[in-house]
Amino acid sequence: MTRRVAVGQQRRSFLRLMAVVARRDYLRTVRRRGFVFGTALLPAAMGGLLLLSSLFGSPPAVPAPAAALTVVNESAIPLQPATGAQLREVDRATADSELARGALGEFYIVPAGYPAAPEIQRVAASGRSPAIEDFQRWSGQEPVLAATLRLSLLADAGVRPDVAERVARPISVRDVSVDGAPSDPVVGGFGFIVPYAFTFLFVMSIFITSGYLLQSVTEEKENRVVEIVLSSVPPQPLMFGKIVGLGAAGLTQVAVWVATALIALPLAVERLPMIDGLEISPLVVGLALVFFVLGYLAYGAIFAAVGAIAPGTREAQQYSGFFGFFAVVPLLFAGAFFADPGSALVTVLAVVPLTAPAAMLQLLALSAEPPWLLVAASLLSLGAFAALAALAASRIFRATLLLYGARPSLRGILGAITARG
Amino acid sequence: MTAQEAGPHPVVVEGVSKRFGRVDVVCDLSFEVQAGEVLGFLGPNGAGKTTTMRMILDIIRPDSGRIAVFGGAPGLAQQHRVGYLPEERGLYRDVSAVDTLTYFGSLKGMSGGDARRQAEALLRELGLGDSMAKRAGELSRGMHQKVQVIATVLHRPQLLILDEPFQGLDPVNAQMLRDLVLGQRDRGAAVVMSTHDMNEAQTLCDRLLLIDHGRRVLYGSVTDIRRGFASGAVEVEGEGIPSSPGALRSADDAIASNGRIRFVLRDGASPSDLFRELAASGAQVTRFEEAAPTLNEIFIRAVAGEPRGDTA
Repeated sequence: MTRRVAVGQQRRSFLRLMAVVARRDYLRTVRRRGFVFGTALLPAAMGGLLLLSSLFGSPPAVPAPAAALTVVNESAIPLQPATGAQLREVDRATADSELARGALGEFYIVPAGYPAAPEIQRVAASGRSPAIEDFQRWSGQEPVLAATLRLSLLADAGVRPDVAERVARPISVRDVSVDGAPSDPVVGGFGFIVPYAFTFLFVMSIFITSGYLLQSVTEEKENRVVEIVLSSVPPQPLMFGKIVGLGAAGLTQVAVWVATALIALPLAVERLPMIDGLEISPLVVGLALVFFVLGYLAYGAIFAAVGAIAPGTREAQQYSGFFGFFAVVPLLFAGAFFADPGSALVTVLAVVPLTAPAAMLQLLALSAEPPWLLVAASLLSLGAFAALAALAASRIFRATLLLYGARPSLRGILGAITARG
Repeated sequence: MTAQEAGPHPVVVEGVSKRFGRVDVVCDLSFEVQAGEVLGFLGPNGAGKTTTMRMILDIIRPDSGRIAVFGGAPGLAQQHRVGYLPEERGLYRDVSAVDTLTYFGSLKGMSGGDARRQAEALLRELGLGDSMAKRAGELSRGMHQKVQVIATVLHRPQLLILDEPFQGLDPVNAQMLRDLVLGQRDRGAAVVMSTHDMNEAQTLCDRLLLIDHGRRVLYGSVTDIRRGFASGAVEVEGEGIPSSPGALRSADDAIASNGRIRFVLRDGASPSDLFRELAASGAQVTRFEEAAPTLNEIFIRAVAGEPRGDTA
């Protein structure tokens, strides 16, 4: 009974100290000028981009006008413009004159021997190399000219105009839902955007928070405050308090960015119609959150240990960069996730603990139904790793935090991890 | 029953050992610290003093042996009763003194409000009232030292562990710390203090523990240890004292220096025998004192391998 009371008191003390450390590290971080500046920078940049886009951009929602083209028809086939085509027939002298004046960018010549001689000439202004907009214009003009010539050949062969039109444009696809209501496949296809956003936020918050954690731990070592702190707080609540407090600071930054994005979204919808009416499965969001939190705990423990081991800030950043790289690996293999989510590479990335969070967040984004077996294996692997990493990190924290300016040996670190108690 | 006797000893260390790599830093060390006393923790550099203090604070764990702090295992349950001034000490450079102290007080179980009020009161008491909102980076070294000392006693600990507290202190701050140590002892707190300054140890400490290579060399009250190292000599001052060799039966030799005569006692003779002889000789004795070595001499002799003062 007495032992149970003592254990209860220890647990309360542990949580109280953890809360004191977390609260203090959180408030200290979010009040820093660097934090406030960094947090405000992204929303400011987004706002600036929207402003620039509204000032100088052309709204993409307005359909582009049909490509206009000028044709010199030297063949015996009368031209029948395709529906909607802006086609103008002129003689060669007029075309040359307009091109020379700059009134035309180019014109097309249907040769006298057409269709036996199928080569169509495109005459463009000489003296300059084609620019991007020339290629874009030509790629719009060519299908229009092709449809026009197809219709013209069919009409010349005596095919009925309505049949000729169907030969030229055989199908017209309209998307509907099961109940027959119109739907937009582009909008549905963007259902993966939130889990993908989670993936990016996870990777970003890993780097942001690792920076805060390393800064906090190395600062306490360099300022020689850590021994006073350790005489009041055992290493475990100190480490977990820092992970929670600085993780919360990192998430605050991300939350501000997400909130800004949500506010900016209605404005962006006008320019990105595919995100209008976006619906995300709550199950996918829930799973993504679980992977996010477990992944953060695993990386947080590693970065806390790195801060304790590293003799200075520079070394701490180098070590953390090595571990942080694993968080990015699944994003480097994004192509494999798109090409075949069931591939061996994807499965390995989903099960290896350090790559599991970003891999599973991507996989959830791309799968119509969560791959439950892989989800379970990944959760088990990541959960076990996070627990072991936290335990090992707290032992490393205890053993190495007071090695001012000295780098512990690998043997020493392994000894600390495997030590009793 | 006095307050000191009421509870378990603030610190009991029994057969504690600690090894780092291939080096035995602390070997089978035992001692205790009583409430209301200052225990001087002496030893050469690398003797294992800081390691022992860190084990009492549960910053590191012993490989074997037992440590009890207020009757329980060191750690969470005891940490709010302990104040620690480490040898390597600093402050958060970009945080104000009062904010740092409030944080340290909160870690020791005080509410945020109480910690801040107490920190402000102590800062004012030590003349830092105008500097409490300044960042530590803007404070002088002397001010830093005062803030660090306040951090140690802010929560009125019942056990103070001070690792080389006088190192680098200016005379004013050294006196402040001396007064503080004695004040804490007088209110019933136990103080463990490591130092290389033997004069400070002799002035402030009630008992001493001297370790070397992690092993206990001397342990006991200052008086007993000095007596244990007494060399069988007596120092005498006065008029008409016979000082020629062989003039007194109980002394082998007599050396005059600075107005006093140092008599080396013959084997089997006691200071009382010498005193009686002097009285019978008609000499007027104004000072008669057993010649005990200074702590500095004892330290050098003990560390050089003359262990004979352990009176525990």
